[in-house]
Amino acid sequence: MAPPLYLLVSPYIQPATVGKQITMNCRSEVLEVSVEGRQVDEAMLALLHTILLHRSTGKFHYKKEGTYSIGTVGTQDIDCDFIDFSFVRVSSDELDRVIRKTVGEFKDAMGNGTDGMGQISLEFYQKKKSRWPFSDECIPWEVWSIKVNVVNLANEQERQICREKVGEKLGEKVINIVEVINQHEYLPKMPTQSEVDNVFDTSLKDVQPYLYKITFQITDTLGTSVSTTMRRLIKDTLAL
Amino acid sequence: MAAHFDTEYQRLEASYSDSPPGEENLLVHVPDGNKSPWHHIENLDLFFQRVYNLHQKNGFTCMLLGEVFELVQLLFVVGFTVFLANCVDYDILFANKFVNHTDSSKVTLPDAFLPVDVCSTSIRDNVAVMFVLMISGVFWLHRLIKFIYNVCCYWEIRSFYTNALKMSMAELPYFTWQEVQARIVEIQKEHQICIHKKELTELDIYHRILRFKNYMVAMVNKSLLPVRFRPPLLGESVFYTRGLKYNFELIFFWGPGSLFESEWSLKPQYKRGGNRLELADKLASRILWIGIANLLLCPVVLVWQILYAFFSYTEVIKREPGSLGARCWSLYGRCYLRHFNELDHELMSRLSKGYKASSRYMNCFLSSLLTVVAKNVAFFAGSLLAVLIALTIYDEDVLAVEHVLSSITLLGVCITVCRSFIPDKHLVYCPEQLLRVILAHIHYMPDHWQGNAHRYETRDQFSQLFQYKAVFILEELISPLVTPFILIFSLRRKSLEIIDFFRNFTVEVVGVGDTCSFAQMDIRQHGHPAWMSEGKTEASIYQQAEDGKTELSLMHFAITNPQWQPPTETTHFISQLKERVQREATGDRHTLTSLSGSEPRSLIANFLAGPPSLASLHLGRDGSLTNHGPVGVSDGASALRSLSVSSMRGSCSSAHRSAGHASSASRAMAGSSTDARTASSGSSVWEGQLTSLVLSEYASTEMSIHALYIHELHKQQSGGELSRHTWHRQDSDDSSDSVTEEGGSGGGNTNPRNPIPRSHTFPISTPISTPGPIPSSNSGPNPDRGSTPGQEVAPLQSNSQRRYGGNTDSVGPGGRVVRSARVPMGGWAEEGRGGRHPDTVPEGSEDDMPHNIHKVT
Repeated sequence: MAPPLYLLVSPYIQPATVGKQITMNCRSEVLEVSVEGRQVDEAMLALLHTILLHRSTGKFHYKKEGTYSIGTVGTQDIDCDFIDFSFVRVSSDELDRVIRKTVGEFKDAMGNGTDGMGQISLEFYQKKKSRWPFSDECIPWEVWSIKVNVVNLANEQERQICREKVGEKLGEKVINIVEVINQHEYLPKMPTQSEVDNVFDTSLKDVQPYLYKITFQITDTLGTSVSTTMRRLIKDTLAL
Repeated sequence: MAAHFDTEYQRLEASYSDSPPGEENLLVHVPDGNKSPWHHIENLDLFFQRVYNLHQKNGFTCMLLGEVFELVQLLFVVGFTVFLANCVDYDILFANKFVNHTDSSKVTLPDAFLPVDVCSTSIRDNVAVMFVLMISGVFWLHRLIKFIYNVCCYWEIRSFYTNALKMSMAELPYFTWQEVQARIVEIQKEHQICIHKKELTELDIYHRILRFKNYMVAMVNKSLLPVRFRPPLLGESVFYTRGLKYNFELIFFWGPGSLFESEWSLKPQYKRGGNRLELADKLASRILWIGIANLLLCPVVLVWQILYAFFSYTEVIKREPGSLGARCWSLYGRCYLRHFNELDHELMSRLSKGYKASSRYMNCFLSSLLTVVAKNVAFFAGSLLAVLIALTIYDEDVLAVEHVLSSITLLGVCITVCRSFIPDKHLVYCPEQLLRVILAHIHYMPDHWQGNAHRYETRDQFSQLFQYKAVFILEELISPLVTPFILIFSLRRKSLEIIDFFRNFTVEVVGVGDTCSFAQMDIRQHGHPAWMSEGKTEASIYQQAEDGKTELSLMHFAITNPQWQPPTETTHFISQLKERVQREATGDRHTLTSLSGSEPRSLIANFLAGPPSLASLHLGRDGSLTNHGPVGVSDGASALRSLSVSSMRGSCSSAHRSAGHASSASRAMAGSSTDARTASSGSSVWEGQLTSLVLSEYASTEMSIHALYIHELHKQQSGGELSRHTWHRQDSDDSSDSVTEEGGSGGGNTNPRNPIPRSHTFPISTPISTPGPIPSSNSGPNPDRGSTPGQEVAPLQSNSQRRYGGNTDSVGPGGRVVRSARVPMGGWAEEGRGGRHPDTVPEGSEDDMPHNIHKVT
């Protein structure tokens, strides 16, 4: 069965969206890096911390009349061991611990040394209280997806080159991040005292980042899982 | 944000938890708080849909009540049916069995009911009944849960209306949707409902509400959906029912495994051309499974449809049997006639305005044979009925005689049915004119209808859009039986085309997500050169929307949403078109006044010169007057004008006049209606609800004018020989033969795919009783025509001839274009052959295909 003629006539080329996915009502940025196995955690830490540095504030201290003052946030330079790179992060050990833990899990999940692909997503969301039968909604407003491609290197010389290359790449990414953050797009509004938990993560003692969630996926699980399909099915039937 | 960080760059030592020292001197912030919960809404599609629904259903209470009654109705239908089947002793009811009462001999209704225990055991013993009960119970529970869920959601929307939009539910019915929309756009600046953009546009909102509908409209427009069939005996017919539509939507948009992964985005693999064959296979198997599921559920759905139809229509048919003879716009018609980005209420109001003219048009075609028969049947039935009624009046015991009541009823029905076949005595036979009036409202019609309005083929095709109510009900009834087969045999074969369609015609729009690219109404990408966008469009045949849909939709959207800021090219197109319409209209008036010879002409001139109210008096709704109007473009323009008067009569003319245009009432209607809109939108006198209603009325009139103008121009451009025959486009799944078959099938005259003979066979030169637009449009610049339109038209014509040069063999002496027979009608390939796409790839084998696609994408 030969195709109808018109299908062959210059298909309409879609505008490519580079590095930016558009989801519903949420900004989405995609970063991609290729690193060697042992550099994975440092690269991830560098990027995640850079984003979080810009998405954290000092603790809010609410006073009477509904005003508040903002506590200070310290920053800290971190040098990487396996990459020629250093980055700035919020000097909060608690935050660092949380991130390190997730990144460690991610690295374990990736397996050691072999080629692989993975993705860490850092999602900023706000909570919306809903009435009883429904649980609180978490509505994301910005998602950073970092795609990691792990490469295997043969010898020490290549490793040396890689060390520098990855450093440069990370530098670019950091600048990317800062550019995006400087665009003055939507940020949740500063909450009142009662609502501060809906916007900021107040569990840390020394710093107060926007509510965030870190998730990761390894290669083939990128497709939709069964549970999400089921959830959608139920939602669809309800929303009919 | 950034301000918080450039305070200090230093390591802080411990004790963060306390307030920092010297706190008093620090900056003090005031939280702007989330006073409204309306910022950043997660699912804007649903949100806007709900906002729209709530508006259309006139507020929360109405909606709630409606849904509650729907639930109750469902329970009632099931319960009542079961009751009738199991708990009634029909022997008693039909008096075959006697009841022995002690006190009186009257049989009462409760006597006919079986006792509760007998009844319940008979229900319990009957497996089929239990099965039906179970299924409907599950269905009802599902509906109930949905209802509760909906109530919660709509409660939220209600508070959105009251708190954010500042519209109370009580006054909601007084606001038009355009006003609601304007407020939404307004509050976006404040609340940021959508976080991608600082400002929302009207188009964004429309896109979100109509995302899937736009796809459906585009698919019908490109003849992708299998809704046309050629069953034996019936000839070509359209079968598109709610059940079928539901299944299409299930497959494409939201069902499990559909092409869309969420409401707003197509699954990424469908956007890549690489594995289209594989995806098509997958889709085909999904369609198969859904078809089989439909087949399995068929008995249940069928029973439901029958019950539902019985309960909802029996009463109506008894009350006014004529309603079966009445017509309604078919589901297919609604899809075919819908503009891109047209909301339900806009479409419905447009179609309702065209309803009267349409039924008059259809009534023109009553078969005279049938009329004679119907008249006589009605006579005999009427005399029988008269006698029966007279007897009954004399002594009502006649009613007690067996079957007298039923024969009275039957005779009544019979007479009403017959009456629907007897044409109105005062009906004027002017199909061409009526069709023009219809066109002004429905905005779309296939090219070959014009000039062929009196033919039965045209009528039959129009009846596909405008069907009998009875046919509609019948189709709904048989839909459960037919749908599975359509899915399995027809739609499945189209899976590859569907995959290609969604890949090629989906664009990602920032802040909206994936939408149908046709809905962008971009002339450059989807314009059709024969519909005013020549030179502006870069679309290939595949990309062109048929029937001038892009152009007309664009005009419609721009007119209904005057605040909308289209991209510059588009603005240019719109303003150019508006200007042309105005110029033609005013130029035409000069012609008219100078000409004013015959009675009707002077009438029109009179109306143009005099105050509008007078004119409306003269013209009324009588479209036939325009028949005698000037020729050519001016004919269309004057048709418009009579229309504009009729539709604007009453509601607008007063506003229009007092808006300061009384002195300039002599201006052409087309021009002044535009002016009045802009003028009154600016003036403060006309604020409030009245204005917006009047404005929307103006808008629809203006749109009618533009639609007619565009059609007129299109007809001229294609010079009477319309090259593309979209109405009967071949179902392209017939693959390679499609092109040749198109040409070949042109031989059979009875074949509806064969275009109605035009130009060479259709007797243009034969004098037609009314000087219709056919000869005039084909003739060149006419001396009768005023200078302005003449100048306007001349370059146009030469243009069109240049463009269709490949197809045109010769131009007759009267400027009549003689069409050669070698050009095949319809189908995709035709214009490609016309030399517009020299680089068109000739038909390739299947092996070439993926390669080709792959390369380009």
